[in-house]
Amino acid sequence: MKEDYYILFDNYLNKELSASEIISFEEKLNTDADFNQEFEIYKALETSLASKFENEEAEKELKNTLSKLGSKYIKPENSIKKKGKIISLFSNKKFMVAASIALLIGFFLFNNGDPVYSDFSNHNALELVVRGDNNEAIIKAQDAFNSKNYKEALQQLTVLSETNSNDTEIELYKGICYLELNVYVESDVIFDAISSGNSAFANTASWYKALSMLKQEQFEACKYVLKTIPESAAEYKQAQKLLKKL
Amino acid sequence: MIQKPHEDHIYIEALLKNDSRVLSKIYEKFSHKIVSYVRNNNGNSDDAQDIIQETLVTIYHQAKEKNFILTCPFDAYFYLLCKRRWLNELKKRGNNRVTILDDTTSITEEQEQQVEETEIFEKQSQLFESKFKELGAKCQELLKTTFKIKSMEKVAEILGVTYGYARKKKSQCMGKLTQLVKDSNEFHQLKAY
Repeated sequence: MKEDYYILFDNYLNKELSASEIISFEEKLNTDADFNQEFEIYKALETSLASKFENEEAEKELKNTLSKLGSKYIKPENSIKKKGKIISLFSNKKFMVAASIALLIGFFLFNNGDPVYSDFSNHNALELVVRGDNNEAIIKAQDAFNSKNYKEALQQLTVLSETNSNDTEIELYKGICYLELNVYVESDVIFDAISSGNSAFANTASWYKALSMLKQEQFEACKYVLKTIPESAAEYKQAQKLLKKL
Repeated sequence: MIQKPHEDHIYIEALLKNDSRVLSKIYEKFSHKIVSYVRNNNGNSDDAQDIIQETLVTIYHQAKEKNFILTCPFDAYFYLLCKRRWLNELKKRGNNRVTILDDTTSITEEQEQQVEETEIFEKQSQLFESKFKELGAKCQELLKTTFKIKSMEKVAEILGVTYGYARKKKSQCMGKLTQLVKDSNEFHQLKAY
């Protein structure tokens, strides 16, 4: 019986029913909910499948166009990362300013006596937002870090690092927080890991490892680490300055 | 009801016409935001490219089949669609750790409605397609041929059967498909809209 329904649906949609047949068909649509529902599905299937199969070729062509445009306008990861990360945090200009401030402070403060950590612990501002997002955790982390609230910053950075497990920059700043909070066990593990890698932050991590040694008053170890910082590194001048004081 | 198209409807027309000049504007103007969103939420730029393309293809089909008219700005409509598609994708991958909060882009009721329309359209198409694949090979072939070649006489000729038999078979296969759709859970969820 159902089979007859479907033949009827097909005939109705193809406008092959007689006037009287149409009237009784439409009456059934109005009175029989099940009949009506099946007709609606049948009709929707017809439209959907017809459109899908008719446009298969056109869809392929459209996808071709979109793929081309996609690769043209959406740049792959590595190129974005290089630009975004290195420039955002260690743009030369910014770094030079920070470095010269550190040098000046050094010059005025440690003409006498042993150098101390606070004289060199002039951290670059955390600027993760430059990457173009509005993550609340990022903003909180950044605000906390830049206002020297290292406990809060550490919490937020830990949240961030759970979802960005390979983000060296976040790791580095976590290390700095631990260092500020005197949790050397944690900070040194982080600095060691980054400085032995080949990320853009390797030398910075070495510099911080040296600062950690300085803060722990392990001057020989500090000297040793400082000597590993190559001349090409942005931290080289600072490192040399500290070495002279030790 | 006659809907007045928004001026951004040009993008929908560009999809229908495969007009790469206008389509390139979509990528130029709107892709950046979506790429950032995906990258900040456990995705990479390849993911973003897929999300954008799938969304555009869906809009294309909706426009083709349902004469979809865009009545709101394309930007927010498109961004929201891509965003929700990416969140769905993350769910599929079993990754529920989405850190990003909803950004403050304000959405009007009309935009929300258009987004939902597109999403329901897609869900329905996907349901139909998956049920179609559950049909036997013979039914699939017959229906495919029927929809590609409009004339049932020709279909009968190609398949080497009589016209009457082809007609009867076609409605039988369609009937089977109707039943499959009707009995599916997804259909009942869609009906709830």
